[in-house]
Amino acid sequence: MSARFAIREGGPEVWTLRVLAAVALVLGVIAIPTRASDSLIDTATTTLILMAAAMSLNLLLGFTGQISLGHSAFFGIGTYTTAVGVTRWGWSPFVTLPVAFVLAFVVGAIVSIPALRIKGVYLALVTLALGLVFPQFIKWNKIEWLTGGAAGLDRTGFKFSKDNPTYEIFGWNPWGNLRGQNVKPFYFWVGLLIVVFVYLVCRGIVKSRVGRSLIAIRDNSTAAAVMGVNLAVTKGIVFGLSAAMCALPGCLAAMRTGTVTPDTSLLTVSGAITLLIIMVVGGSGSLWGPIVGAVLFEFIVEFTGDWSDDQAIPGIVRPLFSWSEVSPAAGIFGLALVLLMFMAPLGVVGWCKQQVARVVAVTPKPAGSGTLAGTTSAPAEA
Amino acid sequence: MALFLQRLVDGLSEGSIYALLALGLVIIYRGTGHLNFAQGEIALFSTYAVYQFGEWGIPIGIAVVLGMVVGFAVGSAAEFTIVRPVAKKSAFAVFIVTIGLFQFLNWLDGAIWGGQQLPNSSVGSTQKLFPNLFPNQPDDFFTIFGANIKYQSVGILVLVLAIGALLYLLFNYTKLGLAMRAVAANAESAKLVGIRTGMVLTVSWGIASAIGALGGVVFAGLNQNVNLGLMFFVFIYGAAAATLGGFDSPGGAVVGGLAIGVVQNLAAGYAPEWVGQEMKVGVALLVILIVLLVRPSGLFGTSKVERV
Repeated sequence: MSARFAIREGGPEVWTLRVLAAVALVLGVIAIPTRASDSLIDTATTTLILMAAAMSLNLLLGFTGQISLGHSAFFGIGTYTTAVGVTRWGWSPFVTLPVAFVLAFVVGAIVSIPALRIKGVYLALVTLALGLVFPQFIKWNKIEWLTGGAAGLDRTGFKFSKDNPTYEIFGWNPWGNLRGQNVKPFYFWVGLLIVVFVYLVCRGIVKSRVGRSLIAIRDNSTAAAVMGVNLAVTKGIVFGLSAAMCALPGCLAAMRTGTVTPDTSLLTVSGAITLLIIMVVGGSGSLWGPIVGAVLFEFIVEFTGDWSDDQAIPGIVRPLFSWSEVSPAAGIFGLALVLLMFMAPLGVVGWCKQQVARVVAVTPKPAGSGTLAGTTSAPAEA
Repeated sequence: MALFLQRLVDGLSEGSIYALLALGLVIIYRGTGHLNFAQGEIALFSTYAVYQFGEWGIPIGIAVVLGMVVGFAVGSAAEFTIVRPVAKKSAFAVFIVTIGLFQFLNWLDGAIWGGQQLPNSSVGSTQKLFPNLFPNQPDDFFTIFGANIKYQSVGILVLVLAIGALLYLLFNYTKLGLAMRAVAANAESAKLVGIRTGMVLTVSWGIASAIGALGGVVFAGLNQNVNLGLMFFVFIYGAAAATLGGFDSPGGAVVGGLAIGVVQNLAAGYAPEWVGQEMKVGVALLVILIVLLVRPSGLFGTSKVERV
């Protein structure tokens, strides 16, 4: 492959690009809750929720190759932990976040025990059944006293009152009106916090020894076991962590909407499929894949949301979609999954990486030029 | 006793539908080793087509055959155009493609026929209920040992057994069946002796989808309407049936389907507090989980020997 430009790994060009990208990202993120309209903040928060959930699925599916069609159940565990904690026991919604994390971790680790023997599409089948069982379980008459059954639960969010502190930063208030009802920016920040947390955990795992053993398990589990990777423990921890991180955006979903029902689409199997779509479209097995995927997904859903009404369709594409009774988003994503498997199995991010690699080649540092951490400085300290 | 008998027959007729879905899954799995997650949605599309034929005034007997033709066409086209090309890449790609097809078909049903359940007077349906293959008036039953057995329950059961028998004849007494068995046993060798494996696989997907379509129509008839979520649960019951019977055993699929239908109905009937209508799917999850853990090859399947 002949690239037109060659830049050195860790060189100034790389750093310039990184700093520019980081600044643009931070400015963009701050602009949303402070400058944008209410509906855009809402959409952005939904995007963050989907993002965090898809990232947790990506950790499991993209990096260990274990197929899960039941992540909606873990998402739902988060939602219902918050809902039940707030309404039944009067907990603060923030307290429910760690509780949901631990609870989902335990459930995920338990699910991973059969997953050790069950592989590939069979695991997809088991998790699909799990995803189908979850909403039914919530409606089950034996636990209706706790979950509120099919009717769901109400007032599951924060209680904002006039006595709340406003937490202004030198007169600047990016959180929205915490004393009244305009709290959309506040939920955006909670969502961002969750996304950053999930991203850092994923990154920490993927770039560490555990991450390398995960990729080894995905590519050849027998070889990995022979090399000394403890399959059971590694898979169990990752399954648990993936479930736990999926529960966090679930908590936020309960806080934000304030009402919870077991038939909300993200809590059913169609939610699990949504997460799968986001992950695959963005790029499975890449840290930024679900982030890009979630933005694309929410953009298309919002853009085509009212297309069941023919007049709302932009003129050029109206003949293409006017026959349809519903918004074309779901069909577009179904088609996208199929086409991506033909053209770009690693999703949008994977495809972009390929295109960039055609033009720019990042050459690794020449061997021996860097200092190995610990070898030069450590003896001097001692 | 009467109650037991009635629940047994109800279970058998519900299980028959699962058996049809399971048969489709098994036929595809035998040929290619793929689990077709879009099976239920191909069946649903065909079921909507049967509703449409009914709207055009075609009697149900002919409409169901046309529906199976639609299922055959969709299934074989899917295999030929999207599954086979990605099968060379990875099993994961096939999984994603079947999920993509699932999503696309479900959307397409909604796009053409709308999200409401059909038939529906508000969108001008001329049919009152989804057409049933069997007489299902309130007085269409006979009494045996005090149990009221509906004609349609018996009809569905007989239908499934007939399909099973036809498949048995197909597999064992026709050249196509021989080719299908050869491809299932060893695709490479089958190709070497001159079997057009690609054609065989396309036809297998077609037959599997046609059987699934029949299952969808029968279930919609039992349910009296068709809606977008009709096949979600039926698919997982069918998959549980295929798991129980063994993914490469058509006979096992029928037995598994009937068994799951009976167990579900007895459990829901005798422990309404615990199982009821809500947790019926829990029975399916338990069956899948236990079978995969204890005996992954199922009751009648051949166990797979893995070489590394």
